[in-house]
Amino acid sequence: MLFNSFAFLIFFPIVTTAYFVLPHRYRWALLLAASCYFYMAFIPKYILILLVTITVDYFAGIGIESTQGKTRQWLLAASILANIGMLAFFKYFNFANENLSGLAGFLGWHYPIRDLAIILPIGLSFHTFQSLSYTIEVFRGNQKAERHFGYLALYVMFYPQLVAGPIERPQNILHQLHEDHPFEYQRVADGLKWMAWGMFKKVVIADRMALFANAVYDEPHKYTGPALVLATVAFAIQIYCDFSGYSDIAFGSAQVMGITLMKNFRHPYFAKSIAEFWRRWHVSLSTWFRDYVYIPLGGNRVSTGRWALNLFITFLLSGLWHGANWTFVIWGALHGLYMVTSTLGSRLRSASGSMSASPRLAQLRDGMATLWTFALVSFAWIFFRAANLDDAWYVVSHLPAGWDGFLMQVIEYARDGSLGLNEIIFRSIGLLTPLARGEIILTILPLLALVFVEIRQERGNFMQEISLQKTQLRLVYYAVLVFTILALGTSYTGVPQAFIYFQF
Amino acid sequence: MGDVSKLLKRCLQVIFLVSLMATAVFLTTRPDEKHVYQASLQKAHLLATEPSPRIIIFGGSNIAFGIDSKLIEKQLDYHVINDGLHVALGVAPLMEIERYLRPGDIVIISLEYYNFDSETSFFGQPQYLADWIELAPERIWYLQEPIRQMPSIYTIMLQRKINRVLQYYTYGGSLDVNRGIYTGGEFDEHGDFITYPDRVNQKFTIDSSAYPITLMDEAYVFLEAFNQSARSKGATVFYEAQAHRQSNCDSTGLRQIKRFFSRIRSKTTIPVLTDIDHVCMADKYFYDTAYHLNEQGREIRTQRLIDHLKTALGME
Repeated sequence: MLFNSFAFLIFFPIVTTAYFVLPHRYRWALLLAASCYFYMAFIPKYILILLVTITVDYFAGIGIESTQGKTRQWLLAASILANIGMLAFFKYFNFANENLSGLAGFLGWHYPIRDLAIILPIGLSFHTFQSLSYTIEVFRGNQKAERHFGYLALYVMFYPQLVAGPIERPQNILHQLHEDHPFEYQRVADGLKWMAWGMFKKVVIADRMALFANAVYDEPHKYTGPALVLATVAFAIQIYCDFSGYSDIAFGSAQVMGITLMKNFRHPYFAKSIAEFWRRWHVSLSTWFRDYVYIPLGGNRVSTGRWALNLFITFLLSGLWHGANWTFVIWGALHGLYMVTSTLGSRLRSASGSMSASPRLAQLRDGMATLWTFALVSFAWIFFRAANLDDAWYVVSHLPAGWDGFLMQVIEYARDGSLGLNEIIFRSIGLLTPLARGEIILTILPLLALVFVEIRQERGNFMQEISLQKTQLRLVYYAVLVFTILALGTSYTGVPQAFIYFQF
Repeated sequence: MGDVSKLLKRCLQVIFLVSLMATAVFLTTRPDEKHVYQASLQKAHLLATEPSPRIIIFGGSNIAFGIDSKLIEKQLDYHVINDGLHVALGVAPLMEIERYLRPGDIVIISLEYYNFDSETSFFGQPQYLADWIELAPERIWYLQEPIRQMPSIYTIMLQRKINRVLQYYTYGGSLDVNRGIYTGGEFDEHGDFITYPDRVNQKFTIDSSAYPITLMDEAYVFLEAFNQSARSKGATVFYEAQAHRQSNCDSTGLRQIKRFFSRIRSKTTIPVLTDIDHVCMADKYFYDTAYHLNEQGREIRTQRLIDHLKTALGME
């Protein structure tokens, strides 16, 4: 079930009302049943995958806690094998098979194994990692094994974060699921506000940005530099609003029920370096890889060469986690490379002593650093968004092309004087149909609203600021927000657009 | 419970304000007066008022452009209503026809292969249905699942109204830029689209398009249900092939097309008028799209239809 679907509009109030009406001791059963229903709205039989991994982890957790020595390690290994095995089978089998088949073909060998006709279970990478973190934390002694199968199942399947995270840790969530959360006006209202804001980001901005990004990335060979740059920036905004929008809805819907999820995004495009970007982007995944891959590999308490390798491997795996495609591997590798070089650079800079600068100069430097980081991140998004390596290479290699023609066209339109600036730009890069003028306005206005809110949130707590306003004014704000979602959401087809991260 | 009441009160207040805004948009934004769907009002009027027995020909724009109703009327002595408008409306207008059926009426269905591409193509695309319903709100009840579809249809309608207002003002107080030659005021008294003869010399590039004909059971079940309902009202239903350009026939594949017609014959009791050898028409009979006949093509197609009807009705 999609958050931005009509079905969820019915599902959420029913489940939430039932949650508060039911006595605390039955709530886990309600939430578990609701989560199963939520998941089964996609492909019902895939619920069995969850059943298998949860059962394995349930017994592994208890076993790990109640045994000593090698047995614990074997039990942990069994849990990791079951979870990663599922992931490998459903997500990576065909990828590996295609590559092996290609290699065999190249070498002239007979390769008889065919691809499997399987559809990737929705959110598999998310719930697998969440499941894994449970047994690992029990093994490390940071979490007591859960003796109630229902609660463990709910920890893995809690519907707000089941299909696209945040990837939670048992220490944060399990105890909250056990606790009684009575109805509290402020908390519920805040949760609803987060949901509305997330919905705005998804249906008003991300889905509209997708119109531009898809138009170019579906057929990149038709375009040159200006359109490719615009589409890439559009995708950078799309993926942020799509994923952070999802996370806000997840955060809000859990908050309504008294469960506080991890904040997955902290205004990542304000980051002044790639390292900072990763402290702000998909925080639950970055910290997962940090805790369970990077640090066990040795982290930064090793030689510089080994540290760089650790970092690179971590990002490579992170890329592969996103998708079974070389484009994702390259995306991860690029970020690995960015991280290594930027961290080495900052080490060198601190070794040579910090430069003092006037506040205005420092502000300018920060601004440039933010822009540079955004440019690097956007460049990497090319590989994330492109359908295959050929398309990605085309985009990368044609970024510098076509600018002269574009500028000539801009000058020509500007001389003509009958078009506005935005239209001149879109027309000159060949992305404007006669009908698009209204669409551009509908894109720019919400985008300005987003930037305004993001800046205010970055500097303080904008939500808090609004809640200090007079009630009537606040109601108007919220009504305008809801109306904008209804009126400017791009569901022209009546079919809600899936969240990008559902495919992972 | 104080907290719950407070939240409910606040939610209701927000809903009230949102409703006010939406109502303001609905009340102040009128449908586009020249939109091609304006013709659907004229067609609905014909369905309600034209005396029976009548021949009602239903389909997408291939019917609007491709039928000479006067010729049929002259040769068969029936009142003829051309109820073809737009492929994207799917079969929704067929339910409007059903409402006005009377004994002795003949309905000729000529859907495009595109309609058999997916469920949405068959039952109508929401954004186009929203425009169609905007002109006559009772049409919401002609949809496949009116109650379920209502929220999304009205939300889409709201979005399209706002977009239309923006288009209107940003293009200097006109919506002409949205229109091609296919506009609402260009239909004759039978519902035939009549502007194209003046444009026949205009050069058009016709893209070849071929849609996979998905043999959806729901489509045949729907058509048969319509057939039975029409019969119960004393009307007769026939199926006729869409006007299909030869090069498109080639890309769709004759095998696919044959399979489609054999499916129509086996899954429904609707007689198929078209001779399979005449399903495809030479490219020279089309002018702007692969489905829009020019004047010459229209006459050939209409004459064939008349001949087939004569045979089917035993008028020869």
